[in-house]
Amino acid sequence: MKLRLILLVVCIALLGALSVSAQDRTPIYVYTDSDTNISDFWTNTIIPAFEAEFPQYEVILTIVRGVGGGNADIANRALAAMTTGDDPQVDFFETMNTDAQQEWVDAELFLAVTEEMVPNLANVIPATNRLPQEMPYRGSQVLLAYNSDNVAAEDVPTTYAGLLEWIKNNPGQFVYNRPDKGGSGAAMVTRAIFEVTGQDPSKFVPGESDEALIAEFSKAWELLGSVHDSIYENGAYPAGNTPVLELLANGSVSMITAWSDQGLQAYNLGVLPETTRFAQLQDLPFTGGYAFSAIPSNSTNQEGALALANFLLSAEMQQAIVETIGGFPSVSWEMLPAELQSQYTSVITDTVPTWPGGAYGAAMVEGWYNNVATNIDPSS
Amino acid sequence: MTAAAPPQSSPSWRKGIIAYLMVAPPLLLMILLIFIPALQSTARTLTIDVNGEPGFSISRYTAFFQDPISVSNLFFTFQVTLITLAAIFILCFPLAIYLRFATGKLAGAVQVLALFPLFVPGIILAYALIRFLGTRGTLDNVLSIVGFTGYRTPYLKPDAIIFGLVWESIPFTVLVLTAGLRQISDSLIESARDVGANSWQIFWRIILPQIARPVLIVFSLNFLGIFGSYTIPYLLGPAAPQMMGVFMQQTFGQYRRPDDAETQAVITFIICAFIGFLYVRTVATQRKREESE
Repeated sequence: MKLRLILLVVCIALLGALSVSAQDRTPIYVYTDSDTNISDFWTNTIIPAFEAEFPQYEVILTIVRGVGGGNADIANRALAAMTTGDDPQVDFFETMNTDAQQEWVDAELFLAVTEEMVPNLANVIPATNRLPQEMPYRGSQVLLAYNSDNVAAEDVPTTYAGLLEWIKNNPGQFVYNRPDKGGSGAAMVTRAIFEVTGQDPSKFVPGESDEALIAEFSKAWELLGSVHDSIYENGAYPAGNTPVLELLANGSVSMITAWSDQGLQAYNLGVLPETTRFAQLQDLPFTGGYAFSAIPSNSTNQEGALALANFLLSAEMQQAIVETIGGFPSVSWEMLPAELQSQYTSVITDTVPTWPGGAYGAAMVEGWYNNVATNIDPSS
Repeated sequence: MTAAAPPQSSPSWRKGIIAYLMVAPPLLLMILLIFIPALQSTARTLTIDVNGEPGFSISRYTAFFQDPISVSNLFFTFQVTLITLAAIFILCFPLAIYLRFATGKLAGAVQVLALFPLFVPGIILAYALIRFLGTRGTLDNVLSIVGFTGYRTPYLKPDAIIFGLVWESIPFTVLVLTAGLRQISDSLIESARDVGANSWQIFWRIILPQIARPVLIVFSLNFLGIFGSYTIPYLLGPAAPQMMGVFMQQTFGQYRRPDDAETQAVITFIICAFIGFLYVRTVATQRKREESE
């Protein structure tokens, strides 16, 4: 009886001690709805490194991938908490489109971050095009991936015109996917559109639709149509990024367009052969994009969230993004070790064109299907 | 029937009400979730806005049939459906007859194999076929070991759609055909053989007329499944031409033209409804005949 009593007292004391030690560390509630590679990266790399450097904080990561609206639902919860003055129980969104909903903008749900709050923001490259509320911390860009057994380094095209020429000279050796089924194929198509509209992506403003600009797309169809027969299997376009990577992996083709993170990760995992190399066009690179983090303005641990944001933009974490998940840094490549730079020298660019989607996207996809994928003239 | 309510004491109208109550939930579900939306869709495709007033017009349909890409997709869907159906029958008839008459372990194994596709989800099948049929895939490798090097992959071509759809349709077809064949009594075939009929005559004059109905059922249900198929043509087929399922999704989701997608859906629906009518009539006449017998 006595023993049990002692045990009970010990247990209570232990629990008390544990809760005290937990109270010592202020929690930072982080939400993510990104893919497994990203949530794994947080669990295995970012959080241990951050907690080692900032022992006063405890990062609590909640994965809401595939649950309803993901992070957007949590943002709406934070908005509701804002109206009632409650704790939103979220301090940091791994990715957030801060202007996706007008109510968020109106209520100033997200904190506008300055370089005073997050000093490392000073190193972020302008190509990320961030809103004041957004902190870009990782990027991805479409690249050319090729098999160096079949393509000599000096033969790798450096311009879009050169790429089309290469495709014509090596029939059946190049493939990209349908533009609506994955960004790597879309980049091949949008790059053709940029090519015929003066290589100036800034002409395409999100939310607008310039009929005169869309009318020029027909020239892009001529470009892509001219290589249609030289694409894999006389013009067979797979339905996704992964089937394209697979065709390069099994040696069916020698060159593809691929997302940097998917391609580099497949390479690191050994899914793509060791002879795989990556390159970027030098006249105007393929499109890319960044993941933006955000902090709700009613976060109860803003200090911790800002420390985390600053940590993500540190050279150490930016290097990990390149090495671990095959992402692109959001800071200038010059911040990273010289060795890493030389390894990625063929793909490094501080120019990251973006494609606006919207009405332009619809015209791009339909135009491609009706003019490039088929030889039926829709106006006949 | 319980002893408390012997059949003769319960008035027939009450029995009728119970029966209607029992069929009401599925019937209501059908009407609310299928018939009414389908009718609304059809009505919408037939109306245009005339100075703020809805007016009748078939302009959406003339637009569909004047667009060579839409027409080629519809034609392609018919083509794939009919070729697939022919292939299914050529493959499944011998299989069903074998399973009807054969006994033993081998027949059991064949049956398991024939039913296996039933348990494989379409998307898994599609990726497996990419690996199997693709360039440098299993088939290509095996052929090159044998010394055949001219292999051209059907992946991303119409042939791959047919291949996938046939594989997917085998279990259902074999099940229905075998069930139909089992209804033909052994004695009938034996007596035909006694009077000197050869195998072909037995098949043509005895078996085939007896299983006309299962054949029609297999035809119509497979037609509906194939005509509206999505996953297999989407992952294995070419970017153009497209089957109607893929085309509709594309028009709706990518081209952002819900009106045109609706017109495509109604056209597909009408074609399928006609085949569905054939099926219902077949089943209904069978029931009538059974009742009269």
